[in-house]
Amino acid sequence: MTTTTQNELETDVEVKPDGRARVVLRGRLNEQTVVGCWGLLEKELLETKVVTLQVDVSGLGFCDGAGMSLLLYLNMGSMTPRATVSVFGLEADHEKILRELTFNDHEAFHPHPAIKRDSFVEKMGRRVRQMTMEFHEEMVFLGAIIATLPASIFHPKRSRWTETRRIVELAGANAVPIVSLMSLLLGFIIAFESARRLAEFGAQLYVANTIMVVMVRDMGPLMTAILLAGRSGSSFAAEIGTMKVNEELNALKTFGLDPIPFLVVPRILAGVFVTPLLTFYSILMGVIGGVIVMLGLGFTLPLILHQLASSVHLNDLGAGISKSAVFGVIVSAVGCWHGLRTQQGPSAVGLSTTRAVVTSLLLIIVADAVFSAISFLLK
Amino acid sequence: MMNAPDNIAISVKDLTVGYGDNVILQNVNFQVRRGEVFVILGASGSGKSTLLKAMIGLYPPLSGEVWIEGGNLVAAQEKERLALLRKFGVMYQSGALFGSLTVLENVRLPLDEFSNLPDPLKEVAALARLKLVGLGAAADKMPAELSGGMQKRAAIARAMALDPRILFLDEPSAGLDPITSAGIDLLITSLHHFGFTFVIVSHELPSIYSIADRVVMLGSCTKGIIAEGKPTELRDGAADPWVRRFFNRQPDPSHSVESS
Repeated sequence: MTTTTQNELETDVEVKPDGRARVVLRGRLNEQTVVGCWGLLEKELLETKVVTLQVDVSGLGFCDGAGMSLLLYLNMGSMTPRATVSVFGLEADHEKILRELTFNDHEAFHPHPAIKRDSFVEKMGRRVRQMTMEFHEEMVFLGAIIATLPASIFHPKRSRWTETRRIVELAGANAVPIVSLMSLLLGFIIAFESARRLAEFGAQLYVANTIMVVMVRDMGPLMTAILLAGRSGSSFAAEIGTMKVNEELNALKTFGLDPIPFLVVPRILAGVFVTPLLTFYSILMGVIGGVIVMLGLGFTLPLILHQLASSVHLNDLGAGISKSAVFGVIVSAVGCWHGLRTQQGPSAVGLSTTRAVVTSLLLIIVADAVFSAISFLLK
Repeated sequence: MMNAPDNIAISVKDLTVGYGDNVILQNVNFQVRRGEVFVILGASGSGKSTLLKAMIGLYPPLSGEVWIEGGNLVAAQEKERLALLRKFGVMYQSGALFGSLTVLENVRLPLDEFSNLPDPLKEVAALARLKLVGLGAAADKMPAELSGGMQKRAAIARAMALDPRILFLDEPSAGLDPITSAGIDLLITSLHHFGFTFVIVSHELPSIYSIADRVVMLGSCTKGIIAEGKPTELRDGAADPWVRRFFNRQPDPSHSVESS
């Protein structure tokens, strides 16, 4: 027999060669004493093949949840597989808990389900079906926007201009500081990088042309759209997604209000209005950044301005600005789309936001590539 | 640590709670005896949940003390505060189960974080608590798959994970049908037999009559306790007519339908 006393718990363990074992617990069985007791029982009971186990707890003065867990574990036979176990001496309430949790209950949480693996064809089929359904839903959404937008534009009284104004302020006016900083630094970077290369050919004056062309035709619209996707597209998805989770969208529908004109159209109108303005502002700030660098390189302001004016046509500016309006539609529509598709659950809104930003960025780059190809072919 | 009388589990002393200049409760005093079911009552907006959150240390009070099992939760430093937090469990109104974990994992989480028990025992301990609240069969389900009543039961099981002696329940019957609500009452009564002390925020009268040993009622105008005692005694003999109307579910005669 092994007797151990630790922290107010006395444990007697007796294992006979014929497989009969007896454990006597006296004192307090709590979280502190259970750990030591567990080690002792594991050592003594796992050494021999136990056929019957008797656990006498009539000497226990205190037994908390941790202690009960140990008794349950012993009673279920988890430490002595296939042995007949009896725990006796417990109070009636604790006895009831002991009887209610069985080995089968415990085993139920260690199932070994047959893992069904889909074949390649099944996986492909499922993915194609999912993509087709998503494409269908996207087309329905796009169709709803196209059907609703003219009514909002030609019947201004039906539109929610207060909401549109609020979004213009949030997505546009509040974005001015970050657009200023980003574009100014972008102008610096382009000017410094091109100045180093052009100096090798004695053509540093053409830094002005580089900045103007790059900012007007590509970087201005692109960087503004990327910034809006991260700042406003995600906010649209989160805002509408939270409304969906809180059943505000259901409330709208039961009033007979369609979420497309009520929530989506104001955001798209705001996006179309704000993105070109911010893009124009971004181009201006980028060019100012470049001019500052050129002044630092020793060029005079009239010369720089002359170079800037001669480097692009009004058509280039028109192309850049109209491109940005398309980017604005993409950012707003994708943000709203993912917001409306938000599922239930704690991570749903976060997932929608991430998807909105990633999809917007992807579509912006695709649209930019299409614009570049069209512009090349037209020349 | 202060030596509290043996039969006192919680002692609230001169507690003033509010947000900035907006005082919601002023100089509240009461004691909760060990092993009793104590209910905090009051009209909507009277500060019941605010009081509960101040008692469990979520809202720092503007002044006053909350003594739990002989320790002042308001003034306790980090180590003592953690020890005091282990002495009670909380069930929030919505259940507040972690949506990304199964029900069993939710109950096991506090054990994994704070207990030295061997891993097999942690699982048995979590499962035993779920069995105790009648959710043994739902252990591997996600919270979203459970009904409102089951979520509250699971939240009670999680609150019991670390063997606290005190359980705070915020509106355990709110939003439940009468049968499910009666089931929660029965669960509270059966857990009460194991010696738990309950502090419950509720205004479900049938539940209160069924489970409460003692209640305190908060008043919006007085910003404090307007009645204290057994629910049936307050129903039949409270000095304040508003309290009697509350317990007898009678409308305030000074309020017309329009004004209410």
